[in-house]
Amino acid sequence: MTDTIIRLHRGLYMQQAVKQAATDFADFATFQIGRDGDHYTVTITDIDPDTDGDVAAEFCNFALIHTAARKRKKTA
Amino acid sequence: MEPTAIDHLDAAKSSITLSLDAGLYPADVVYGAAYVFIDRAYVLLDRAGTATKPSGRLLVHLRGKEALDEAGLEALAGEFGNELLSQALRRKVVKQNHKLIEDITAQAIAGAAGGILPTDFLQGEDDGMDFLDDPLGIAVPWEDKFQKADKTDEPSEN
Repeated sequence: MTDTIIRLHRGLYMQQAVKQAATDFADFATFQIGRDGDHYTVTITDIDPDTDGDVAAEFCNFALIHTAARKRKKTA
Repeated sequence: MEPTAIDHLDAAKSSITLSLDAGLYPADVVYGAAYVFIDRAYVLLDRAGTATKPSGRLLVHLRGKEALDEAGLEALAGEFGNELLSQALRRKVVKQNHKLIEDITAQAIAGAAGGILPTDFLQGEDDGMDFLDDPLGIAVPWEDKFQKADKTDEPSEN
């Protein structure tokens, strides 16, 4: 099965939020987080074939929302 | 370039990419707008340009969870633009009224905490009653109170 690689800009996504999203989806796939210049690279493998929906895209939504929540907490 | 512009549209993939002026729409405004859309679209944010050559523009990739044609995608982009404005205005209002909101909240919390209540209790008159006193007969069981009345209501066997 081919790996899915996602690039998340480090200025827009927080590392802890990306890790939290990876933990949220750990039951559905394997996530490996790395860095490449301005971006975090998330390599998604072993996606559960029985899972409904797009795991990679949902993961991105979660990473974004966790980032927004953490940033809001920081400014509050 | 426009403050909000369609950078790329792909109806086959139900996806659209918007390019935003980062100076006009701060990141938290974009986060707020993205939050509103995550139930019906997959949202991915990025910055145009590189660290050495920043373009000052944010890229918002939206992909519909349901299949969308070109008109649907353009409508989605338009709604996202509206939501950006709404979030920006909301942020401005909160910033302008920050002090007022804090003062009102502090007053409300102080009132709810009942800071004045203990003084009221101290000032209250002592009626000289014990906590076991029951002048209104509230503690009398219902059966004791209405026993006789119930018996008279019973139909006679004759």
